[in-house]
Amino acid sequence: MEFQDQFYTNGEYIETASGNKVSRQSVLCGSQNIVINGKTIIMTDCVIRGDLANVRIGRHCVISRKAVIRPPFKKFSKGVAFFPLHIGDHVFIDEDSIVNAAQVGSYVHIGKNCVIGRRCVLKDCCAIADNTVLPPETVVPPFTVFSGSPGQFTAELPECTQDLMLDVTMNYYQHFKATAGVKEKKK
Amino acid sequence: MSAKQKVLVSHGAVVCDECEIVGDVTIGARSVIHPKARIIADDGPIIIGENNIIEELVTIINRNPAGTDANTQQVMIVGNNNVFEVGCYVEATKIGDHNVVEAKAKVGRQVGLTTGCIIGSMCSLTSNEILPENTVIYGEECERRVQRERPPTQNLQIDFLTKILPNYHYIKKTKSSTPQRT
Repeated sequence: MEFQDQFYTNGEYIETASGNKVSRQSVLCGSQNIVINGKTIIMTDCVIRGDLANVRIGRHCVISRKAVIRPPFKKFSKGVAFFPLHIGDHVFIDEDSIVNAAQVGSYVHIGKNCVIGRRCVLKDCCAIADNTVLPPETVVPPFTVFSGSPGQFTAELPECTQDLMLDVTMNYYQHFKATAGVKEKKK
Repeated sequence: MSAKQKVLVSHGAVVCDECEIVGDVTIGARSVIHPKARIIADDGPIIIGENNIIEELVTIINRNPAGTDANTQQVMIVGNNNVFEVGCYVEATKIGDHNVVEAKAKVGRQVGLTTGCIIGSMCSLTSNEILPENTVIYGEECERRVQRERPPTQNLQIDFLTKILPNYHYIKKTKSSTPQRT
């Protein structure tokens, strides 16, 4: 699949030294607790709740518009705690999705308008179809597709999922350009 | 019709400054309102009780449906110990206690929630009815059943949030120490 170039006006996104592109219109709460490892795109109107617990996002992730990344909480016999949320590398989170997971592996695709319930664990190389609701504490095994409400196993993914996700996220990053700088984007 | 701008935050409530509150809104003690929540009292005041959690991107709106007389005012009352999860949309004017509206659920204008009702994720409820106590609405087809007990209170989470949110956000000042007379 060939990606079309996607342009944004230069002031709209901030590019960090490690190549992250973070929209000025996104809401990053408690930014000192958010670690983004590099070449990740965070689009307009995203909400990342670093104030509740640490959030770590790997390399080459894409977090699309209006997605919400929020660490899950768990109630204990005394008090509650918010769990740190780790997202692996090459993860694509589509628009309007809410991610309450405890852990998201690498090479994961989360479709549009999904709700990932509290403390779900998404292993490497899995996919969540559009409009899925994963109930709390669901574990999604590798190479599976979950869909529906409540989300259930519906299909398997091929063994090349890792390469496909690598391709998708890296191409997406390369084709995500500022309008003001017409020259080729440096690696 | 623009209602008068009047936001009353009771003592002990935590209301982040980044949320959008429009019109005549009263927020009860120990309620927590996350950043980016929207509480919009266009057509009549909104009164929110105690110990509620309103998460980000929640829309609570008091707005008459199109075509009604612009002068009809209806007070929207939300009881105590309710949880509104990320991205839900609530128009209902009567909400009791101990209800949970889960992520991306929608509660229409004509619906009344009593006590202990749970509206599941992505469920949309736009009928004209009053839900019996402890009703649970769930799944793709918005199936419903009645649960034996009401959902547990979230007091521990509220304690935690009231401690942690002021460290990271600007908090709206409390303007009155007693709940507003109605």
